[in-house]
Amino acid sequence: MESLAESRERGCHVIGRAWRGMAAHLSSGRVNLTALREAGRRELREFLDKCAGSKAIVWDEYLTGPFGLIAQYSLLKEHEVEKMFTLKAGRLPPADVKNIIFFVRPRLELMDIIAENVLSEDRVRSPLRDFHILFVPRRSLLCEQRLKDQGVLGSFIHREQYSLDLIPFDGDLLSMESESAFKECYLENDQTSLYHAAKGLMTLQALYGTIPQIFGKGDCARHVANMMIRMKREFPGGQNSIFPVFDTLLLLDRNVDLLSPLATQLTYEGLIDEIYGIQNTYVKLPPEKFLPKKQGEGGKDLPTEPKKLQLNSAEELYAEIRDKNFNAVGSVLSKKAKIISAAFEERHHAKTVGEIKQFVSQLPHMQAARSSLANHTSIAELIKDITTSEDFFDNLTVEQEFMSGIDTDKVNNYTEDCIAQKHPLIKILRLVCLQSVCNSGLKQKVLDHYKREILQTYGYEHILTLNNLEKAGLLKLQTSSRNNYPTIRKTMRLWMDDVNEQNPNDISYVYSGYAPLSVRLAQLLARPGWRSIEEVLKILPGPHFEERQQLPTGLQKKRQQGENRITLVFFLGGVTYAEIAALRFLSQMEDGGTEYVIATTKLINGTNWIKSLMEKLEPPPF
Amino acid sequence: MAPGALLLEAQREYEKESQKADEYLREIKDQNLLSEAVRQCIEAAGYEHEPETQKSLLRAASFGKCFLDKFPPESFVRTCRDLRVLNAIWDYQIGIPLTFAQYKQLTIEVLLDRLVLRRLYPLAIRICEYLRLSEFQGVSRILAHWACYKVQQKDKSDEEVAHAINQKLGDTPGISYSEIAARAYDCGRTELAIKLLEYEPRSGEQVPLLLKMKKSQLALNKAIESGDTDLVYTVVLHLKNELNRGTFFMTLQKQPVALSLYRQFCKHQELETLKDLYNQDDDHQELGNFHVHSSYSSEKRIEGRVAALQNAVDEYYKAKNEFAAKATEDQIKLLRMQRRLQDDLDKPYVDYSLHDTVYGLILDGNHKRAEHLYRDFRVPDKRFWWLKIGALAEREDWEEMEKFSKSKKSPIGYLPFVEICMKHHNRHEARKYAARVTPEQRVKAHILVGELDQAADAAIEHKNETEMNLVLSKCTAATDSSVAEKINRAKAQSLKK
Repeated sequence: MESLAESRERGCHVIGRAWRGMAAHLSSGRVNLTALREAGRRELREFLDKCAGSKAIVWDEYLTGPFGLIAQYSLLKEHEVEKMFTLKAGRLPPADVKNIIFFVRPRLELMDIIAENVLSEDRVRSPLRDFHILFVPRRSLLCEQRLKDQGVLGSFIHREQYSLDLIPFDGDLLSMESESAFKECYLENDQTSLYHAAKGLMTLQALYGTIPQIFGKGDCARHVANMMIRMKREFPGGQNSIFPVFDTLLLLDRNVDLLSPLATQLTYEGLIDEIYGIQNTYVKLPPEKFLPKKQGEGGKDLPTEPKKLQLNSAEELYAEIRDKNFNAVGSVLSKKAKIISAAFEERHHAKTVGEIKQFVSQLPHMQAARSSLANHTSIAELIKDITTSEDFFDNLTVEQEFMSGIDTDKVNNYTEDCIAQKHPLIKILRLVCLQSVCNSGLKQKVLDHYKREILQTYGYEHILTLNNLEKAGLLKLQTSSRNNYPTIRKTMRLWMDDVNEQNPNDISYVYSGYAPLSVRLAQLLARPGWRSIEEVLKILPGPHFEERQQLPTGLQKKRQQGENRITLVFFLGGVTYAEIAALRFLSQMEDGGTEYVIATTKLINGTNWIKSLMEKLEPPPF
Repeated sequence: MAPGALLLEAQREYEKESQKADEYLREIKDQNLLSEAVRQCIEAAGYEHEPETQKSLLRAASFGKCFLDKFPPESFVRTCRDLRVLNAIWDYQIGIPLTFAQYKQLTIEVLLDRLVLRRLYPLAIRICEYLRLSEFQGVSRILAHWACYKVQQKDKSDEEVAHAINQKLGDTPGISYSEIAARAYDCGRTELAIKLLEYEPRSGEQVPLLLKMKKSQLALNKAIESGDTDLVYTVVLHLKNELNRGTFFMTLQKQPVALSLYRQFCKHQELETLKDLYNQDDDHQELGNFHVHSSYSSEKRIEGRVAALQNAVDEYYKAKNEFAAKATEDQIKLLRMQRRLQDDLDKPYVDYSLHDTVYGLILDGNHKRAEHLYRDFRVPDKRFWWLKIGALAEREDWEEMEKFSKSKKSPIGYLPFVEICMKHHNRHEARKYAARVTPEQRVKAHILVGELDQAADAAIEHKNETEMNLVLSKCTAATDSSVAEKINRAKAQSLKK
């Protein structure tokens, strides 16, 4: 599906390449998320069949990535989708189809483009085509009013919604991929994405049973829980008769833990995301390291297109190393290399026909394992080049000093030097925000100094970005004379000096020392319960609460001895891969007693998170 | 005699405890007509109006069935049920003389409709319950009809009616309170409609009706309660058209959620309104931001942009945001200077950051002007030094760099000099500065310029294991074996101690 974006880049308008996307990885976890994907596919097929005849889809470009995780192009083709275009202003490209379907998010600016498309349709020359519109994830009266004002509402035969709220990314991971959720919730007080989150949770409950216990921390969490309870009342009598799969739902506001996304993630997957950015499970990498090594002549035409790989647990090796601290990845890779080459060596020992046959039957699996190993060895090399650089080390040292509470109250030399050398602005903002969070705000003098340095070096136009960061609480003035962070750090054991990266015994391995606050909250909730940390909960922003949803007597769970509880942790405002790794680590703990499924509004890292809060002011052209 | 009639006789004799019962029964059975006889009795019961006769016929059928192995029970059960319904409507108080055949033709749904039209709600509901019809088809539908009738009763107060309706309907599935409310509104009972809407759990249904009834404020509350922002937007834009601007703003003032959403809307659609909103709130910080924004997006000429920024300064001061005000004043000053530079030097300077402007000036050898800006904007020394050596290195003006390095003691030390020279591949210059770095940085500096031997000496002198290892890691076996040896020897020695 990503091919949509690519083909547009090449200036070509129509997409022909098939989407990839198998679903095996979705059924690997404790909760089979294939059912959710299936429900999504069914809904899509039903809609497509409503528009009888050949079709062309006009895509809101942002949707193509997430859609690719639900349905391949082949599914659309089976339902007579012949062409696909990117939504853009002007006239629609010619297509000999009966139906034109717009797949769009409910946004006013998109409505204007659609109206332009429809109005410029050449009624005389081209044959009459039927228009339809599919809102993702929800129909909007506001948008329909806009279409009406533009005089095109009547042109649409079907106006429907496709509730693509929670998209399954992996066997234990759901995301709404709502880019601006954090900004909208915490900066603009626009809770639209929370409404979608609540709707998504209702869909999830319809498929996997009512979740009997809801815990939460933060204002947004409270709001989502309220909406869920309300929505349940909207369907009285529709008693859910499905045996509940989840025992607990934990709703967490991102602003309860602003620290974790700012720190550099040190797991394998986290670093891939930090350095190259993972989008809808795909990553694009510099191609040089992926050249076939054997051919001597192949070197002449260097590939210029980045190497694109899908990353999920369907790949055995990746599932094993993704959540490890990067320092523990090398040894796994070399161990694997030995096993694989030993396995290939087997062929010399295969004497009988039976043995040879056995060997040959394993070949495809072995070859897949070998190419997977080759890919990850290349990626690990790419990452290692960066993690062994002096600057990476210096940056990490400063981050760790801040997180362990060293010199958080004065201007940091390294940060200052980075500004003076005009390092990327986002890096600077991450450092300054991290320091501010670790100090419960900065003193006026320190804060003003940083701000002045940033404006003078990177330009005055960033003044609004700084203001946004202040509004979001990432950057703030220390108001009380007391710095609360040390209390939180000590009570929640956020900083662990004796971290074991190779064979971790605590979640702090994901940041090589810092245990993500958000995940600690989940861990402490499971055992011994939040009552043990009442004091800290009071310091963290927003209310904490517990709700129970009544189950009919027949559906109450009787646990088998030793059977783990399942908790769904929903991060409102985004979650990082390192936090996910930490939760997976807790799931796998032998006497943990709880397994986690993770949901979020968006998969984030410090860079794209800060970016989403930046205000782009560009000077007018001359 | 028909077998059915004979069966009826047999049952009567049986009740009298007469052996004739057996006789008659055998007679039917011998002709293999018993199931036919049962069937006849059941059918006959349907045509009878007198419950007593119906009963004796059904009793006969039941009696006959006892002697049959496989007689399907449905027809018997169905007839019993239907007769019960028919007997109920044949009652003189109801008086619907429908025959069994007519009833079958009409279907139960139509019969229920007729009962509803005659407002015989309790009976209709009993029938539904008795026939176990699904709630959607049966009870809910009738209750809804009842409620719609109830709202037309003008003799009762709104409270009474609403209460009565809720009492009966409760949370029965399939009931749409909004439909009932719509009926009440049609009958001119707006207050009642509002009361009824209170019971409607689906806000999506409440809000449009409330808007229709011109209860926009209430609609706004309901929309906000629902959390559905699209609904809130709908009401807000409705209010905008309905109210005059002042009242509209006042209304939003009371609803922070709606206000923030409307702000978002304005940000994309009506910038001027946004300004008015901030003005009304005396939100000087946001007003300042607004002016900054417009200085970038809507003003083209420098004068216009400066004027917008000047407005921002005023607002920031009112907001007591000293920092932003000062920064903006600086920006105005910078813009003006950049314009002058642009005119004087015939090069683009406007809209570069202060850093880039100074950098550009040094790059062009305009050291005086650079110096002037640096002082004027009170750039910290450290940053200026970083900046200046970077630009000088790019210009490859090594002479000027050396002069600068000697102008006073470097606030950033001399390692950055070494680094920047090496970055521009000038080992010769780098060596000059390597000699000047502080002792702690000496090892690093020597490594940078490729003097491993000196680096080793320095490390050994410091007796610093980490430094020694660092040097060792840079050694290649082929060329630096003597250095490596030296370090290893030193390490061994320090171990002995």
